[in-house]
Amino acid sequence: MKSLLSYVVAAVVLSAIAFALGAYQTDIYRKMLLWIALAISYNFLFGISGQIAFSHFSFYGIGAYTIVILVTQAGLPLPLAVPATRLEGFYLALATLAFAQLFIVVLNEGGAITGGTGGLASYRLPDIFGVHVTGPWYTVVIVVLMLATMAIIGRLDRSWFGRACRAVRDNPEAAAAMGVDVRRTKVIAYAVTSALAGVAGMVYAFVDNTVNPHIFGLENVFLLLFMVIVGGSGRMAGAILGAALLYLMPLVLSPLIGHHHALVFGVFMVLAVLFQPRGLIGLWDRLRARHHRPPAVLPRAPAIEPKPVKREGLA
Amino acid sequence: MSAPLLQARGLCKRFGGLHAVSDLDLDVHAGEVVGVIGPNGAGKTTTFNMIAGAFAPTSGQLAFDGRSLAGVPTHGFAPRGIVRTFQHNKSFDSLSVRENIMVGMHTRMPASLWRVLAGTPDAHRAEREAQRRADELVDFVGLGEFARAEVATLSFGQGRLLEIARGLAAEPRLMLFDEPAAGLAPGECARLEEIILGIARQGIAVLLIEHDMRFLMALADRVAVLNFGRKIADGTPDAVRADPAVIEAYLGNVENLAHA
Repeated sequence: MKSLLSYVVAAVVLSAIAFALGAYQTDIYRKMLLWIALAISYNFLFGISGQIAFSHFSFYGIGAYTIVILVTQAGLPLPLAVPATRLEGFYLALATLAFAQLFIVVLNEGGAITGGTGGLASYRLPDIFGVHVTGPWYTVVIVVLMLATMAIIGRLDRSWFGRACRAVRDNPEAAAAMGVDVRRTKVIAYAVTSALAGVAGMVYAFVDNTVNPHIFGLENVFLLLFMVIVGGSGRMAGAILGAALLYLMPLVLSPLIGHHHALVFGVFMVLAVLFQPRGLIGLWDRLRARHHRPPAVLPRAPAIEPKPVKREGLA
Repeated sequence: MSAPLLQARGLCKRFGGLHAVSDLDLDVHAGEVVGVIGPNGAGKTTTFNMIAGAFAPTSGQLAFDGRSLAGVPTHGFAPRGIVRTFQHNKSFDSLSVRENIMVGMHTRMPASLWRVLAGTPDAHRAEREAQRRADELVDFVGLGEFARAEVATLSFGQGRLLEIARGLAAEPRLMLFDEPAAGLAPGECARLEEIILGIARQGIAVLLIEHDMRFLMALADRVAVLNFGRKIADGTPDAVRADPAVIEAYLGNVENLAHA
């Protein structure tokens, strides 16, 4: 139960931080944790299962709007959007991008239900069993959400399901020959990660106590993608690093250089993709490997040289 | 002889106007090593792909253990006990050698996704058991020291061994080899021969399609010869070698046959 213990320690430490922060820092801290939670689940969908989908942030939005609508206008039937999980590759990317756009349109045109362009505001978290969760205690809720996302994705990744997801991404034909139902595996990965995004969105709804179409626009859809890529696609530590870094970067840079921070961001992205396609975590691995030998992370080179294969008989 | 494990009757495959395979009958019994040979374009690969479930026959019946395979999707073949290797190694490159083999156990993993998420003791036990079996299989094919290595570090021949270990992990009753000797050095072929015979000794039926006659003739209990999509001979390696129809089909390769 070593892993359980480390989660408890992480929960205590991250919660303790919540009680030491002022209002502004609390807001940043909460949003950073939410971005990390989102990036972790998105990394599983995009990085591990290999599905290029742009719907993740929209599910975050759906979660947020759903809970607010339920709270403020309980009893309303919600049109559940079922995205095109049967599509693959480029077509999935296009369909989910269209879905993300459509979601914004629906929010803008949703009239009284979604509050239109102004969104919904001036609601508050209802009491849960008579307890009003507020202040640092709500930050604790976010810490728990982030750690739960981490635990769920971590367990999935280290199980037969995680292996099946990677196998399907690496070589669908061989995966099917081994008995992996390729489509089912993708659909489950999509559904689980989207559900996690939805839950994160529900929690987000009571951070600002306002939801509006602007938050769930394409800008953040792509920011999430960049977080995973810059951090190191396919690696949870990379997703965490990328999310924290890209969320905090403009906050640090804009007081120094104003709107030019977007330029720095762009240049940073291009450099990251060109020179470090394995992301920051890949860079970290390389540095570690240089300082400690043998590398502790991945057993890359086997101790014994692979026997050279003579290929003169190759047909 | 007992009822065949795999039974093909009147198997046909057409691609547009091309009759790749016509009216093929083929039996494979448990523990038997059956080879399918034929000149280029004879329909070997098409036959293989139908039996492996990569695509469905245009007509004809395919039965495994007395049950029809009609309508079974590709991923439904492994759980029924039919597992294949690929001529061009198709490994999962982001997984370690051991994890590649564990993917082979996919259909044998007992813990449901809910149990995995809950982290139940039996899910942990199943995972440990899978690792142990994977290590056994790594040793069986002689890749012991590479268990934790990345697949990219393996040579082509070692990759072929990994394919076999991954297939065995699915606990097959029929193992299909798609030109297993292609691209291997002579020493590696000898090792492969040993492994395939070892698999057959475990009672697993083996079906090979092969270009390398020498390799196949030494290994197979029975050989089926295809030419222009039709079976022209089926018998022991010696009988097939002496068959006039086979000699004629291989006219350009008579020397090959004589040396086999």
